[in-house]
Amino acid sequence: MPKPHRVLLDRVSGYADEAGAFIRRRRHNRRPFARLYWSGGRSAELGPDTEGGAELFAAAGELIEIAGKRPRG
Amino acid sequence: MIQEIRARDTARYFGSDAQLGTGPVPAMTSSAPSAPVSGEAAEQALEYLTEMSVDLRGGAIFDAGGAVLASSGEAERWGAAATRLLAAADGAEGEPVEQVHVATEQGEIFAVRAEGLVALAVTDRFTLASLMAYDMRAVLRDLARGNAGAEG
Repeated sequence: MPKPHRVLLDRVSGYADEAGAFIRRRRHNRRPFARLYWSGGRSAELGPDTEGGAELFAAAGELIEIAGKRPRG
Repeated sequence: MIQEIRARDTARYFGSDAQLGTGPVPAMTSSAPSAPVSGEAAEQALEYLTEMSVDLRGGAIFDAGGAVLASSGEAERWGAAATRLLAAADGAEGEPVEQVHVATEQGEIFAVRAEGLVALAVTDRFTLASLMAYDMRAVLRDLARGNAGAEG
């Protein structure tokens, strides 16, 4: 039978593993999106395949290229 | 350094809010700035935004007419790309947008319209969108009131 502190450590590291896996899945599964917000709280989401979305993603790509890499680190 | 920025932020946010009661412009409105915004003030505001947001790669601030007031690189390129982005966003439903957030695999774009100004930021992936938008609005609000990058 494992010592009590071992049980606790196993449980904590189990939760940490679960959290790490969740973050990895989130990063892996997240797809590109464009969200627009209007005054009054209305919003809409456009995918890269939609008519308006394609232009937004093209402009976004251009801006990312202009900004370049992060200046620090 | 982080503590300094945090202390300054607290003073700015709560200090500004304390003065809000007497100010004519409520927060989060899109009304025009009370006075023309100088390029120098916009540069300071952009610098402050860069200092606050660790994920920021670059950004720019524009006036209501689309002229570049400050940018972290070539102003012409920023201006052209921002115009393209905002035109696409406004054209989506034929109504001017207040905020744009585009997330791609290479990075994320935020554009915020407030106080008759526009702020645009390019960040790393997975930046906290609500915080970024809040910071951008706060910077535009301060810039419109003429205290960009001011201490306290």
